[in-house]
This record gives sequence, structure tokens and C-alpha cells, in this order.
Amino acid sequence: MSHSRVVGAVEIGTSKVAVLLGEIVGESGLNIIGHSASSSKGVKKGVVTDLNAASDCVHAAIMAAEKNSNSRIDEVFLAQTGSHLIGNFNVGTTNVSAPDGVIRSVDIDAAKADAKRRKLPNTRTYIHHIQNPFSVDDQLVENPLSREGRRLQVGYWSVHGDSDIVSDSLRVIRGIDLDVSDMVISSIASGAVLLQDSEKENGALVVDIGGGTTDYVLYRKGYIVKTGVVPVGGDHITNDLSIGLRVGRKSAEDFKVKHGRAYYQTGDKDEKVWTIGDLTIGDREYPLAAITKIIEARVSEIFDIIKAELEVAELLEPMDIASGIVLTGGSARLAGIDEVAKRCLGLDATVSEGSVDVAEELRQPEYSTVLGLLHYALTGQDASQEMAKPSSFLRKISGLLNI
Amino acid sequence: MSTETQSLLSQSSGSSDLKIKIIGLGGAGTNAVDGLKLDDLGDVRLAAINTDAQALNASPIAEKLVIGRSVTRGLGAGGEIEIGRAAAEADRDAIARLITDTDLIILIVGLGGGTGSAVASVVAEVAAKTGALVLAFATLPFSFEGARRKHIAEESIGELRQLVHGMIPLPNDVLLQEGEEDTSVLKAFAVADRWIGRGVNSLCAMLLKTGLINQDFGSLRSVFHDRGGKTVFGTGTANGPDYVKNALEDLFICPLLHMGDRPSQLDRIIVNVIGGADLGISKVNEIMSLVSKRFGSREDLIFGAVIDEARHESLEICVLGKADMEVTAAVEKATATARTKTTIEGGLGLETEISKEDKPPRPVHSSKLPKKQQTLEVNQDEFTFIDNDEQRGYFEKTDRNEYNGEDLDVPTFMRRGIKIKIK
Repeated sequence: MSHSRVVGAVEIGTSKVAVLLGEIVGESGLNIIGHSASSSKGVKKGVVTDLNAASDCVHAAIMAAEKNSNSRIDEVFLAQTGSHLIGNFNVGTTNVSAPDGVIRSVDIDAAKADAKRRKLPNTRTYIHHIQNPFSVDDQLVENPLSREGRRLQVGYWSVHGDSDIVSDSLRVIRGIDLDVSDMVISSIASGAVLLQDSEKENGALVVDIGGGTTDYVLYRKGYIVKTGVVPVGGDHITNDLSIGLRVGRKSAEDFKVKHGRAYYQTGDKDEKVWTIGDLTIGDREYPLAAITKIIEARVSEIFDIIKAELEVAELLEPMDIASGIVLTGGSARLAGIDEVAKRCLGLDATVSEGSVDVAEELRQPEYSTVLGLLHYALTGQDASQEMAKPSSFLRKISGLLNI
Repeated sequence: MSTETQSLLSQSSGSSDLKIKIIGLGGAGTNAVDGLKLDDLGDVRLAAINTDAQALNASPIAEKLVIGRSVTRGLGAGGEIEIGRAAAEADRDAIARLITDTDLIILIVGLGGGTGSAVASVVAEVAAKTGALVLAFATLPFSFEGARRKHIAEESIGELRQLVHGMIPLPNDVLLQEGEEDTSVLKAFAVADRWIGRGVNSLCAMLLKTGLINQDFGSLRSVFHDRGGKTVFGTGTANGPDYVKNALEDLFICPLLHMGDRPSQLDRIIVNVIGGADLGISKVNEIMSLVSKRFGSREDLIFGAVIDEARHESLEICVLGKADMEVTAAVEKATATARTKTTIEGGLGLETEISKEDKPPRPVHSSKLPKKQQTLEVNQDEFTFIDNDEQRGYFEKTDRNEYNGEDLDVPTFMRRGIKIKIK
């Protein structure tokens, strides 16, 4: 056991704190040895708004996971989300230095450095530089080393966040004397485990609709070409219902879970649903249409925003997103949400059923982000670089699960 | 004093010499005052102020004031707030004359245009000198009227809130939720006027009429003794045999009481009910206990009950609540000071605390909220959330969610004007 280390994958979500403990043995072995999920406090729209409350529930979740696995975490991989995350596509260019035009590693380094040259103001911090393909004299190449050419280019999708917000989330973890080895944005983490290599190759859009945010990542030709965060999630649906139906948040949440559907249909007008146990008002009946209309307006707006963002980047070409949309996150449980995604974006949409390679309880959408974090921990690579061809790490851990 | 007032003296209780003036400002405000149907209330004077002379001429209101002739030649402000401001400044004296010798000024204004909010500021400033109590009912534009009007309205509301004793915002998006499913746009605008009418009528009835439980101007003043802070307004009404239960239910689902940015706890509340002769003291007690339970302000609840002989099995409940979010110091130095003061507080209060790492981990990150809202934020610790998330604007503590000029935290169906029928 001398070579094993215990990695804690932590996602401080708006509605849930999810913790997954992985024991990494040697180079490529991973045992998932503990997990816990508890409702979170002090987090709104993916951002810590109350440090004390957030710390308390994150610490409790980490301790619970440590306890049920009877181990101690050595390092933490932390997910990041929130509307403060901004991505840019930057292209680095260099002229091939050697007179014979053969590309050497120094040229590759120069191109990479050029792509990352953009300095950020003090208030912003880079979280990822995700490499896209190289091109030599405008020809796309996988590996430019030893090729001949005059001009070498490489693109990066770079994501940066608000320094204060990022350091607040780090502070939550450091509060229990743990170190954060790396941060990965939620959409990339989820995408890493939910998509097969072939789907990434064909092009796919992963949309993770959580409590407070909707994170998405777009793969084309195997590369991450865009990520984004819409600061709207299931909390907003609940809040809309609470305002629209004029009931408390609890009843609104009940309505959403029990009767919610992502789109309105004509029959909803005549169907009635009842509040239960809201003693201040007394039991009341509401037309289902009120609920579905409110939800449809909100859900379709989320997809419309993603659509607009992809269109602006000129990335919404169905041909290049042949594998369609994969929906995950707690709000993906909402009935009919794939219908609305399909309608708004004009792409096929499916709700992810989680990976069949992991234990049933980890197939819940809540765990896809933390599974993705462990993937980064295992592949051992600097999470700020998307590896070119992530061989399915789940295959490596299948059979090793002891939970 | 007119003979009308004299006759009122004999029947009203204690507040005989109370002078109430309801003033419509700008086009929308004037329309609303035109449409007011007040129960026989005697000496409530109506007035209107506008930059648009032609529009004002068409109004049946007795006391009318065209302002800014020198600026606009009587042609209106054309939606430009700077013109409205210049017009109001130019006729500050005339405005002062209009409100002189008044105890309670109720302003009715549609925000988002040029005239209303500019004049409201000036009226509030002048009133600060005369000592009159100023309440303002302000409608906020529909989302479909565009981001610009909305923006102006939001700026104005923050500014006005500092200047008046009670600022009652009525977002048209929210009010649209009441009424019939396919309300035409024109009718939709009239919905707000109806709400204002109910509020104004209830207020005046409480102050001027004799009732089961009398409340006078002093009570109203005690609720609204300071400027600034947030005011909450809601009404419920019902007819028929089960009128107490139904009116309460109507009140509790009043859309104005379910807005996202509502303060979580009210410091003082005034509740007035108007019922027929069949409204006995036991029913009033029942209402009182249910309302105070709901709004959670036990000691500071002022309750009035008025009998309107014309009503039978009919009840109207009106709630006005005030949350002091900050103590506004210098009242006299109205507009300018109020504006700079908020900026400074908002800026320093947050940023200095954040820049220091080892401070207690209370504020989380620098807010991108507009300055004005920051002030409210800073003082949030001053009131406690007794009633958890049920009672608060859920996204109150977070940054605004601006996207293409829309606030994504506001329900989509409201921004899109989608009517939700819940009955």
C-alpha cells in the first residue's frame, strides 16, 4: 500500500455537496472507496455565498466519506462552476525555427506559449488551458513533431475565473487542512465520464443542469471546443414555481419533483394537482398547466441561451455534433427535458443514465462530475490540459469497485 | 375650509383636519389618478403634474400643474429623464405651492419615462421641508417595453426609495398575473391602476372613516417614520358568504407579496380591513391573528377596521409593511447627498472587507451589483431571517444575473408575459 494515495473528488454544488474517495494504486489502478452526498448550504448559483455555512457542510460531507471508507484523504480535486467562469479561444502561432523546416519540440513549446500569452487582470485566474489540434501551414495535424512546414499553430480553449470566488472555494477545503491538487470545471469533468471516445470524436454536447447552474461542454472531433456556464438551474425552476403559484419553496419543490414536466401540453389545463400540508393556506388545487407553463418557459430559456452562445461562436452545426446532446445533473430528472432540448437546439438529446461501469448508486447524475474529477486524478496529468485521447478510465476501475 | 370638510369633521374621528393630497405625476400617474374611484371620502384632494400640457388638459382633475414650459414648451419630456429633471427644477416653486399645507402626500407615478421619476424626486425634496409624509405608488414597466425603460425605472426606484417614507413598487410584469388569461396590452396597463386604487382607497378610508378599530394619521406616521427602506403592499378581497377566509386567501396569494426582492422581515405593519356592517369584532380578531401570524411582526402590527355600510358579505384587506434596511441620516439634504452617500457606503463597505484575507469569513466576494443595491446588501445583517427561505427573495444575496439586459433570476414566465392561471 506504500504507493497508494487517497484522492478526494469534491464538488460544492448549489444543492448538493458530492464527495468521492478514490484510492489510486501505482500507475493506473483506482478503487473508489468512499462516497457521500449531502445537501449543501451557503451556495447559490454555483458560488459560495456564505463561507461558514458552506464550510460546515463540505467538511461534514468529507468527514462522512472518510469515515465510511475508513481512510484519510491525501489530496483534493475540486470542481468549479459559476457564471464567473469565462472561456476564450486563443491561437498561438510560431514560425518553424530550423532552416530545414522540420518541426522540433522547441517550436511546439513556442506555439503553446504564444497561445497562452494573454495576461489576465489580477482579479482573474486561469483554470484551464485546453489544447485543440495543431496545424502546420493550415493543415490540421495530430502531432506536429518532425513534420515539415513553415508555420505552426495551436489553439487553446482557455477558461478563467474570478480570483476571489475561486479562492473562496479553495478556502473551504483548506479549512480542514487539505490541499487542493487541481481544479477542473464541472462541465469538463462530467463530459469526461459521460461520453465515449467515439461520441467525442463525432461531436457531442454535454449539458449538466444542476441546482444553481447549467454547465455545458461541446466536443468536436475529439476536442473540447467550448465550455460555458448558464447561471440558471433547478433552483430557478423552484423559485419560479414558488412565485408563480404563490406557495412556499418547499411546496414548489414538491410540485416540481412530483408533477413537473419540462413542457406544457393541452391536457394540462384540465388536470388538477394538490398541495400537501401547507397548513397556512390549506390544501389547494392548481391546474397542472400552471406548473408546466412556468417550467417550460424556464427550461426552454436555458437551452435558448446555450443555443445563442453556440451560434455566436459559429459552432452549432448539427453535422459536427452528430452524437447530439447528453443531459445530466439533478435537473435532468425533470420529465420531458430531453424533448425541450431537442426542440430548442435542433439536436438529438438523451438523458444520461450514468456509466454502466460503476456501482449503481454512483450512476446518479449527481456523481458524474466527481467521477470526472477522479478521472483527472487517475490519468495523473495536469488537469489544465485535456489529454488527447483519454482511454476510458472507467474500464480501468471496473471490477475494482468495492462499494 | 370648505363646507364639505366641515361636514366631514362631524363624522370622522380625531383626524378632522388631516389634509391628504393624491398627486399623479407624468402621463401614467395622471391617468391613474383620473381613474381613481374613492369611496365617499370627503376632503381628499386630487392633483396632477405633467410636462405635457395637452395630456394634462384632457384630465378631469381639478388641480393641474404644467411644469417645465420653459424647457419643453409644454410638449412633454419625450421619455428623456434629463428633460424631466430640468422641467421639475425649473418649476420647483410651483411644485412647492401645490403641496404646501398638506399632511399626507400620495404620489402615483409610472417609472421608466422622463417626467414621473424626476418630478417625484423634487416633490419628495420639497415635502421634506414641510414635514409632510410622502408615500409613492410606482408602476414599473413591462419587460416587453424594452430594456431602456426598465433600466430607467430601476434607477429611479432606488433613488426615490431614499427620498420618500414609503415606496411601493408595482411591477407590471407581476400584476399581469392577475386578471383574465388574454388581457390585451391596454387592459394590462389599467390593471396597475386598479391595484393603486385599492391601496389608496383603503389608506384614505382608514384615516378618514369611523370604524370598529380606528387608526389615525399618527399610526400611519409611526409605521413610516423614516425615509428609505423597503415597503411591501398587498391586498386581498372577497365577496360572498365565506368572505373572511376567501379574502385572507386572496391576500396571501397576492402577487405583490410574492416578489423575489421582497424583504424577508417587516419591521412595522399596518393592516386595514374594510367590511360591511356584518363584520363583527370577532371576525376582525380572527383576521388580525391570522395576518399577524403570517407576517410575523407581533408587536409592531397596527390594525384598523372600517365599516362601509354599502358593503355586505364583502371584505377588503390591505397590508402595508415597512422594512428599515438602513438608517438614513440626513433627511434634509435630499437627492444629491442620498445618491453620493449610497455610492460610498456600497463601495467601501464591501470592498475593504474583502481585500483583507484574515478578516472573519463573512462577505464572500466582491459583488457586481449596481451600487445602489449594494447598500441594501451591506446592511442585511441588521435584520434576522426568522422564517428561513420560505419568506425571502431566494436570490437576494447573489449577484444579479444579467443576460442581454434581462435579469435571469426573475421568473422567465414573467419576463415573457406568460399568464399563469392558478385558480
